[in-house]
Amino acid sequence: MTVPPDPRAGVSRRSFLKGSAVAGLASTGLTAAATAADGPTTFGPGAHDIVLTVNGAERKVAVETRTTLLDALRDGLDLTGAKRICDRGACGGCTVLLDGQPVNSCLVLAIDAIGRPVQTVESLAQGDLPHPLLEAFVHCDALQCGYCTPGMVMSSLACLQQRGRPTREQMQHDLAGNLCRCGTYGRVFAAIERTAQAGGK
Amino acid sequence: MTAPAGPRDGVEITVGYRGLGGMPDRLEARAVEPAEGDAPPWDANTPLRQVGGDHDRVDGLAKASGRAKYTSDVNLPGLLQAAILRAPIARGKLVQLELDAARAMPGIAAVVALKNVGSRVRFVGDAIAAVAGADLHRVRDALAAIRADYEVEPHNVDWLRGEDAPLLDADGEIAEPWPEAVALEGALALAATTHGATYRTEVQTHSSLEPHGATARWQGEDLEVWSSTQATFGVRGELAQALKGRGLRVGAVTVHAEYVGGGFGSKFGAGVEGLACCLLAHAAKAPVKLMLDRFEEHTTAGNRPAALLQLRGGLDAEGRLIAWDVRSYGGCGFNVERGDGGGNVAVPDYYTRAAKTRRKHTDLPADTDPARAMRAPGHPQGWFGAELFLDELAHKAGIDPLELRLRNDSQTMRQDQWRFGAERFGWAAARARPNAPDARFRRGVGLASARWSQLGSAGRPPHGVQCRIHRDGSVEVRSGAQDIGTGLKTVLALIAAEELGIDPKLVQAFTGHTGDPSGPGSGGSTTTPSLSPAVRHAAFLARQQLAGFVATHLGADAAEIDCRDGTVGTRTQRLAWAEACKLIGPNPIDVRGQRFPNYGGKPFSASVCGCQFAEVEVDTWTGQVRVLRMLAVQDCGLVIAKKLAESQVLGAMLQGISFALHEQRIMDRQSGRMLNGDFLRYKILGSADVPELDCVLMTVHNGHSSTPAAGLGEPPAVAAPAAVATAVFHALGEPVRHLPITPDKVLAALARRA
Repeated sequence: MTVPPDPRAGVSRRSFLKGSAVAGLASTGLTAAATAADGPTTFGPGAHDIVLTVNGAERKVAVETRTTLLDALRDGLDLTGAKRICDRGACGGCTVLLDGQPVNSCLVLAIDAIGRPVQTVESLAQGDLPHPLLEAFVHCDALQCGYCTPGMVMSSLACLQQRGRPTREQMQHDLAGNLCRCGTYGRVFAAIERTAQAGGK
Repeated sequence: MTAPAGPRDGVEITVGYRGLGGMPDRLEARAVEPAEGDAPPWDANTPLRQVGGDHDRVDGLAKASGRAKYTSDVNLPGLLQAAILRAPIARGKLVQLELDAARAMPGIAAVVALKNVGSRVRFVGDAIAAVAGADLHRVRDALAAIRADYEVEPHNVDWLRGEDAPLLDADGEIAEPWPEAVALEGALALAATTHGATYRTEVQTHSSLEPHGATARWQGEDLEVWSSTQATFGVRGELAQALKGRGLRVGAVTVHAEYVGGGFGSKFGAGVEGLACCLLAHAAKAPVKLMLDRFEEHTTAGNRPAALLQLRGGLDAEGRLIAWDVRSYGGCGFNVERGDGGGNVAVPDYYTRAAKTRRKHTDLPADTDPARAMRAPGHPQGWFGAELFLDELAHKAGIDPLELRLRNDSQTMRQDQWRFGAERFGWAAARARPNAPDARFRRGVGLASARWSQLGSAGRPPHGVQCRIHRDGSVEVRSGAQDIGTGLKTVLALIAAEELGIDPKLVQAFTGHTGDPSGPGSGGSTTTPSLSPAVRHAAFLARQQLAGFVATHLGADAAEIDCRDGTVGTRTQRLAWAEACKLIGPNPIDVRGQRFPNYGGKPFSASVCGCQFAEVEVDTWTGQVRVLRMLAVQDCGLVIAKKLAESQVLGAMLQGISFALHEQRIMDRQSGRMLNGDFLRYKILGSADVPELDCVLMTVHNGHSSTPAAGLGEPPAVAAPAAVATAVFHALGEPVRHLPITPDKVLAALARRA
């Protein structure tokens, strides 16, 4: 999608970048941004192509500085497993792993994900066999409408990776940021338990 | 599974249910008259191999892996994003609307007015105009550039402050005399124990996680719409009607809702958002997506209305209810006449067969978003009031609450459920366990009943399901109705597999596309009971055609052919399913089954019964209530997909806890705006709040149809808040009569007791 330049961007974006912790930006996947003579890479106004490392592959996507990682994944790369439900970090529906840690991708700027591995729910069904956690979700019927489920899956995956065999209290803690309106929580716990028992992470 | 019933042939079937856990069986013979050509009835003696089994959800992996495409996930080439300008005032008139500045902004493709100048504004969030553009940032900038001026009128967003609202005293009790009722007052005068009190619930928003919205694409005169809806055909008709000025006819509209992220009663129509999306796509000559944001979801997309109930009643010396007087009020939002779910409040009627009764209800308007149907409309509110009232009455009379139910409940099935549930839950022991007077944590147990009186569309209109058997052995079943998480796809697949005697993995089920046979909107728990007999009939017809091919091949009589265990044939000569299907020509067997009217005569049961038990722990220092465990005993007709049915019951219990303890819309009287329109300040139940849940499904052959399923959207949602509230009463020794039971109300109740 082409977007016209944003007339209000520019100076403030440059100073924002200079002052922010986006160290190493120049060595990362920026492909279209101009490089200012006086130092750090500038970015904006308007959209630019960046390269994100998503599910092990380098993916080019056009973003603005204000584009969230969630929107870059959903609208730019058609990876729509992560959902936009509250857009405020309150529901966990957009959970992906960034550097192996679960994050609300609606609260992460796409440019802040440059050079860092992003793992989305789609990665769990890329091979011949789906990830054991997905099979456990299906077996335990840990979903109804399914809209929160990709976020639940990614938080569950992080819980398993970090804790091995989590207790019920640890699961409740680790999934506290994921809301489900259908009320699947109990069966999500069962799915995590089942995966842990089978040794799958 | 024999030949179809002939015209008006009486068939004797066994209806009723087998006793749970040592309870007596309640089975009886009934003569029914299936419609000509319908599949023969499955009854309590029919051995079923797939139906009722522990099968997985057929679209579970698609959903869990993120592969399922919901309306919000549809990406089309050249797709534009869109949003709506909302009125900032609660009441008044739109007097000026300037759209040109927005139209001229970079990246903006279309701007449409949704209200004419001079139109009334009825609540904060009323739709004014809509914008489509390259991305949501630009769209929001353009919305800010629209100039809309209003003539502001005084508003009232508090439904209990309107001129018709009853007067409340400082304790929240209705402070107005009851209108005279001679017979009822006579009964009250005779009662050994009487009681009266006022109960109240707050507005709950549906909070479906997928927002309302649509993606629309015009191709010439044709309109294709993806809609997050629980009524595909309803949306199709509504859009065609609204756009007929553009020459649109219903047949040119295709609606998709293959996956829907929840609805709970709020998604029956295209809504202003759906219409705006189509208008923008038409104006922009490009596909447009318009999904509401979370604030719009909370403030413009429906809610369960607030309720106020006053009850009085009396027991005779034997603990029988002999007087029962209920007046209720519901906050319905601005549309008091139209009512879209309205402010309706329902109360149980099976405790009061021996009582003099009176019932009155009044809807009270306010300048807020209109109410919509929400999971068992009116029931959780009314059951909360009625069941807590009964517990207070039992307490006064010195009767155990369970005993009071057993003495008054006129439904035999629930009598069995009460007894079975009490045993399984350990009611007597838990009820008798005292709390130490100075203990910080106090425990209590409570219970409540449930009833839902709809059992499907009863065959009018005659919804259909398509069934195809292909020569490669695969089977396709299709309904244009939608699966909103309730499991319709799985239900269709399992019934077809049962009828065809094959592994359900051979069956693919498709839902949510208006090109397929029409089905009902998913409301009133009617989808499963409406479509189960239809898919059964479709598979039954397809099986007969296959039997014809096989009979010719074997040189046998088609009437001798059956399908079972993945084989087709006579008693002595059988073909594997795959071999039998090879006899089908290049065109598949392709038939449409229909939902015939319900069997006439008296069914075994005309409603769905259940009861729930809850144990809570109250922290008397903080006022926090925690639910520790709950049990649901639930009639659901013929259980089709066991795991999915359980999921629905478990989820309804959690929604009920959420309603009982957490949820309330908070309005600012000054601005007329919702103050907690997000998921940070509008709390819905989360993973940390989940108790141990137990659910026992009861298969009941109700004798309505060939495939007598019942829906589970509403039934399990009725009892849960009341069960929690009665448990809190037991724990505290003092009732909290106003939901949600938040810490402030618990501490106030404790202070009253002290």
